[in-house]
Amino acid sequence: MKAMNKGSATRRAGGQGGFLDGWLWPRQLPPPASFREVRAGDLRVRYPNPSPGFAASLVSSLGKAGRRLSARRIDDVIAVLGSVGEAFPLDMDDNDFREISANAGLSMAMTRTVVNGMARSWTRDALAGLVRAEFPEPRVLDGFVAGGGGGGGGRRVAASGRGLTFHIGAGSVPGVTVMSMIRALLVKSAVLAKPGAGDVALAVRFARALRGVDSSMGEAVAVQYWPGGSPEWDAWERSVLGRVDRAVVYGSNTTIESVRARAPASTRLVEHPHRLGVAVVGPESPSASARPAAEAVALFDQKGCVSTHIFFFLGGKRRALRWCQKLANRLAELDRDLPPTEPQPGDLSDLHQFRGRLTMKGAASGGLEVWSSDGFGWTVVLASLEDVTPVGGRLAWVVPVASQEACLDALASLSPALQTVGLAGLPPVGEGFVRALFGLGASRVVPLTRVPFPGADWLHDGSRPLGELVRWCEVL
Amino acid sequence: MTVEGAPTIEAVVGELARLFRTWGAGAERRPKRRQSPEGTEPVDPFGTEFHGDASAFTDEAFDRLARRIHRVQFRSNPVLRRFWGERARDVASWEDIPPVPTAAFKEVPIVTGTSEAVFCTSGTSEGPRRRGEHHVGSLDLYWAAAQQNYRRHLLKNSGSVRVVSLIPHPDSVPSSSLAAMAGFISREPEVLGTAWIFSEARGVDAAAFRKAATADREPILLLATAFALVQLLETLKGEEIRLPEGSRLMETGGFKGRVAEVAREGLYRRIRNRLGVSESHVVNEYGMTELLSQAYDGEAGTAPPLSGRKHHFPPWVRTRALDPASLAPLPPGVPGLLAHYDLANAASVCHVLTEDLGETTEDGGFRLAGRAAGAELRGCSLAAESFLREVRKPLSER
Repeated sequence: MKAMNKGSATRRAGGQGGFLDGWLWPRQLPPPASFREVRAGDLRVRYPNPSPGFAASLVSSLGKAGRRLSARRIDDVIAVLGSVGEAFPLDMDDNDFREISANAGLSMAMTRTVVNGMARSWTRDALAGLVRAEFPEPRVLDGFVAGGGGGGGGRRVAASGRGLTFHIGAGSVPGVTVMSMIRALLVKSAVLAKPGAGDVALAVRFARALRGVDSSMGEAVAVQYWPGGSPEWDAWERSVLGRVDRAVVYGSNTTIESVRARAPASTRLVEHPHRLGVAVVGPESPSASARPAAEAVALFDQKGCVSTHIFFFLGGKRRALRWCQKLANRLAELDRDLPPTEPQPGDLSDLHQFRGRLTMKGAASGGLEVWSSDGFGWTVVLASLEDVTPVGGRLAWVVPVASQEACLDALASLSPALQTVGLAGLPPVGEGFVRALFGLGASRVVPLTRVPFPGADWLHDGSRPLGELVRWCEVL
Repeated sequence: MTVEGAPTIEAVVGELARLFRTWGAGAERRPKRRQSPEGTEPVDPFGTEFHGDASAFTDEAFDRLARRIHRVQFRSNPVLRRFWGERARDVASWEDIPPVPTAAFKEVPIVTGTSEAVFCTSGTSEGPRRRGEHHVGSLDLYWAAAQQNYRRHLLKNSGSVRVVSLIPHPDSVPSSSLAAMAGFISREPEVLGTAWIFSEARGVDAAAFRKAATADREPILLLATAFALVQLLETLKGEEIRLPEGSRLMETGGFKGRVAEVAREGLYRRIRNRLGVSESHVVNEYGMTELLSQAYDGEAGTAPPLSGRKHHFPPWVRTRALDPASLAPLPPGVPGLLAHYDLANAASVCHVLTEDLGETTEDGGFRLAGRAAGAELRGCSLAAESFLREVRKPLSER
């Protein structure tokens, strides 16, 4: 195994932070002629300013490397990617974490926890498990294997993600882009990744590390940041969307609709819109359930699609009040152990306005209680569902519900955005309840302890993450 | 007039209106002390401090008055009492009274006593249901708070003027505090007549502007939001319409969210080039629905260059810049979140925390540094605006 390339992408520019190169192109392409910068967290991200015409060269180069990749065996691909993933957190020192932290605007402790948690899905075992979960016979990714099913006993099938996958990342959760890149590489697709502004450091670092371990596979990966959706990048985006085989899009409905409108029909779109995580909490062992509840709120500072925003508490308002206090206590501990994002004045202003608004409503109606840290840290609100508005930061809404049926009724209103449902403090949940959650749009029902970090093989937004990237062929 | 020996909010409001109207007035206009019907104790709800020119609002006198009003609000308004908590019952200084964020005006009517009118903030991304409401106990108090201030900053040495208003007529937008103020101005004795040439439905009537601007030789006082001004200049395209000599302009940042932030330097340059009104005759009014008093950044006709301007409220308002994290007061020159204590808000709540960033100045003024916009919730999680649009809306449409 080759040593991991530890070259930092950040150029230190003196005391006031540095800048980060938000790009990594295949080596045979000419270096960028001009750059632009954008502020992301505490860093300036520098990115090339290529012409739309350059998209053709980039795609062509990645396409050639992708063809070489498609000839590799799946075991080999898993081994390479897994070795990079395993080395990733181990080989990173404080400066490396500091760079990711500064880019994402997360605290160092949070950055370590997030990167280590994400990287658990990037090991050889985890990736092999992911491939097996979707392709019980992994060699189907190498060529035709006996496929069974209809059409007679001689049916053979193969799956391939060959070509180029374009990833449009969202925001500042480190690791989202890397996971998406790994998925494409596992199905032997070349990768062009446009990370979210706050996820540039890790995406570039991964691409660089892969190139250090396996230069051939590394040449099938390019990273390029640009401000997605801005008018001056429209021609570039259209050019890329018209040349790739598939695009994986993370972001708001506006972002997704914008990509849909510009992608040709021949480009397959895999969409991951913004999501809402909830939990259903029973009154059993309230201290035990408050701990993972607080972690589900604090990790990612509520920016992850799996983050839990609303807790439906089964057990009456008085018990809910006591549970809120326990949740608040645990969030206060995490405020110290896992400090939140350093807020900007605007964030603090929003928080004062938000808390004041809720406090005033509680003063007027009496149906609403607020617990909060002195500073930016965290807020717990006991309220009815109609009051709920996720405004970011460590904000937990607790909504008392009388029964599982009432909980399902309330969840129905969240159906369009529902994703992860965490469970805690409940007696064993019946199949009927889980099926009802599924019917409402939930794609992941797990113990609250397992909410923050899904396994590599999780059914992301209700789909098979590798299955969405491949095409099948049958031979009879 | 009193409840348990303390003044009622109505008495406070009435006395404040009289007091505000003395600002800048001579001794002959100062209110006389009045006696109670029994003739044994003063009716004046503030005690004896404020008789005469209101320019005597020393810090000490302001503090006494602010705390007295606070006691009335605390006693009379159970919602505010619960919001503040018991520890705010007796405060050592007005600065110890917790400010109410402007967003709280979106949740509940904050009214001490009864209200004569309800002014609403402009719409936001949350839609009209989430507009802030300022329940105004006395329109006369609003007029009193506004009048001497706009007279000083807009009409001083003006002689007779014609008002051209790009702010809608108050009858067409009765919920707009700005329109109400434009209505007050139109009734001033210097005003020969008012052309209302903006409606929310149709925007600026450029033809009416041309006609009004060139109809006579008396100077014009043009009242406008930045939004409407930009629309006017764009509607006129390259046309130059020189307003009569001595014309003045008040612009304000009304109708937030309906137009991109306008750089004031560029706007003032266009006003000079296209309308012939120099920078010294253009002043900015800083006001908000949640406050009944306004601040100006100069006196029309003698306003300083834009780069050196700062806003001043009348003396019954105190402004502080607060540390965005702790809300501790910051010294002059250090930017923070602006909070205003406006005695004219006696019938609602006086201490208001805004979303504006700025710094105070040694002379009691303040410099605005823009709006403290929070960072967008970045990631894969549903943000508030999307939540309201993508989750709440489908629910309401079912």
